[in-house]
Amino acid sequence: MIGLRGLEVEAGGFAVGPLDLDVMEGEYGVLLGPSGAGKTLVLEAVAGVRRIRAGRVLIDDDDVTSLAPERRRVGLVFQDGLLFPHLDVAHNVAYGARRRGGAGGRRQGSDAGRLAELAEETGITRLLSRRPATLSGGERQRVALARALAARPRVLLLDEPLSAVDVEAREDLQDVLRRVCGAERLTVLHVTHDRAEAFALADSCALLVDGTLRQTGAPRDVLRWPADESVARFLGARNVLAATRAEDDACVAVLSAGGRLRAEEPLPSALASVVVRPENVQLRRAGGGPPATAALRGRVVRLALQGGHVLVSVDTPVRLEALVPERVAERLGLTVGAVVDVTVEPEAVHVLPRR
Amino acid sequence: MRGRRPSLFAVLCAVAGALLLAFVLLPAASMVVGAGAGLLGDALRQDDVRRSLWLTLVAALIATAVAFVVGVPLAYLLARRDFTGKRLVEGVIDLPIVFPHTAAGIALLTVYGSDGFMGRLLAPLGLRFTETVAGIVLAMLFVSLPFLVDTAREAFALVDERYEKVARTLGSSPGGAFARVTFPQAWRGVLAGAVLMWGRGISEFGAVVILAYNPKVISVLTFERFEGFGLRAAQPPAVLIVIVAFVVFVVLRTVLLPRRRRSRKGAA
Repeated sequence: MIGLRGLEVEAGGFAVGPLDLDVMEGEYGVLLGPSGAGKTLVLEAVAGVRRIRAGRVLIDDDDVTSLAPERRRVGLVFQDGLLFPHLDVAHNVAYGARRRGGAGGRRQGSDAGRLAELAEETGITRLLSRRPATLSGGERQRVALARALAARPRVLLLDEPLSAVDVEAREDLQDVLRRVCGAERLTVLHVTHDRAEAFALADSCALLVDGTLRQTGAPRDVLRWPADESVARFLGARNVLAATRAEDDACVAVLSAGGRLRAEEPLPSALASVVVRPENVQLRRAGGGPPATAALRGRVVRLALQGGHVLVSVDTPVRLEALVPERVAERLGLTVGAVVDVTVEPEAVHVLPRR
Repeated sequence: MRGRRPSLFAVLCAVAGALLLAFVLLPAASMVVGAGAGLLGDALRQDDVRRSLWLTLVAALIATAVAFVVGVPLAYLLARRDFTGKRLVEGVIDLPIVFPHTAAGIALLTVYGSDGFMGRLLAPLGLRFTETVAGIVLAMLFVSLPFLVDTAREAFALVDERYEKVARTLGSSPGGAFARVTFPQAWRGVLAGAVLMWGRGISEFGAVVILAYNPKVISVLTFERFEGFGLRAAQPPAVLIVIVAFVVFVVLRTVLLPRRRRSRKGAA
């Protein structure tokens, strides 16, 4: 278990915190945030390799705030692996095992067995005699993971471990992380700026923006109900719209730029921001008559292919973005200039109080 | 298949380099040729020249060893830590570079001479610095220390500090991380600094001659012969030290310091 209590860290005039965060035992926690949010500072503070300004760090209920890094029993993997270049893979992996292993043949024997097992689990057995400089990004990260695990850490700290890896190797490495951390019942704190990576791996998620923890929760909840505009935008909710509560119906948001959207719950305040994820925006080719009830009529101004989907920008007059499957876009005959009716189901309208 | 013709810029660089090489090589070659093999053989058979050569090489080596022990930790500290007065410390380390070397000798004499503060303090321990090998080592150490500290500092700064962070989480103490992770990556740079310092030490004259005219290091012996017997007599010891230093430099650079890889676009 990792616990942060009022943690404050500072580096070069940039301050993070105070943060309170828990990653429960055996949980895969992801600290998600844009670049420069202070994620690495938090991770280094947990590892003990960065001095903290205030607060406490708990590992398995032990207060390790004043402990040196070598006594905390944490595994740390950086973005670029940082394998020791003067050692081959086998010696890199054995580095921590030897330091933490005691004297005696029996222990050494069990360590050798453990190293072989780890090499097998992380898929690096055939790399053991290689030098780090000859490895690919994905191979380096596997070795770095095996090296961290060989030291038998209580918790594993991962700093953007997949960022320097190509897409194919990234998926393999995600599988390795999920499998190995699950098998070892490890508590993990993984920091990343990549939303897809976070949601692919996380049991729990925490959003850090500008050094402040904005939201924690299950990935699905964070994605569906972002706590504020900055979180919503970072999580890809492209439609964040200023609105006021309708006088005749508290569940209706009157968009500042024109149009109305119905939410499931009453708006919490007179001024609000409405968040709608683009995949929840539905489009229909407009007929000759007036728009259907609860629909906004608009004109397509931009189409952008995204994998098997098309991101459609519609001026209603407020700009809304919809993500529709490519075949749906084709069926609707969506082109720039086409007139469409836009609808959003009330349960897909998330309302944030606006100050 | 024809190779690519070198660009005008590459040619200009080569010409500039050739001029510089000629500037350095011409006096050295002239001295070697002027001395001749016979004279060199004679010089090697002379006890005072052999003693002087040995003394010079060993004194410079001792100075380098002392600097290694005290200078490498300082270089590491300067590479890794920011602290109040850091720039001042760096300036102090570089001070001997701008000191006229005779002035350095006089400064050392005022502190380590028989009437100097440190001289009086260390005399009961049997350490005297005037007209002794210890004085020669002291003078060499003072004038050449910046070469080791500055080069070692750069070498440590080139090693990503995060390696040490990883090593710490793997159970190493700060000293262990330095010894097992940082130094093995920086040792070539540190060695280059040590070679530079040793080379600067063997060529020292100004500070040595003030502090310890005797026993004579090779630069002092060369000067004495030039003053007493003229150019021809001074050439053999001078040529000898140049050849020895050159051979040591080339061997060390070839054997211990691998060729720096050129960074080329598209290189694996």
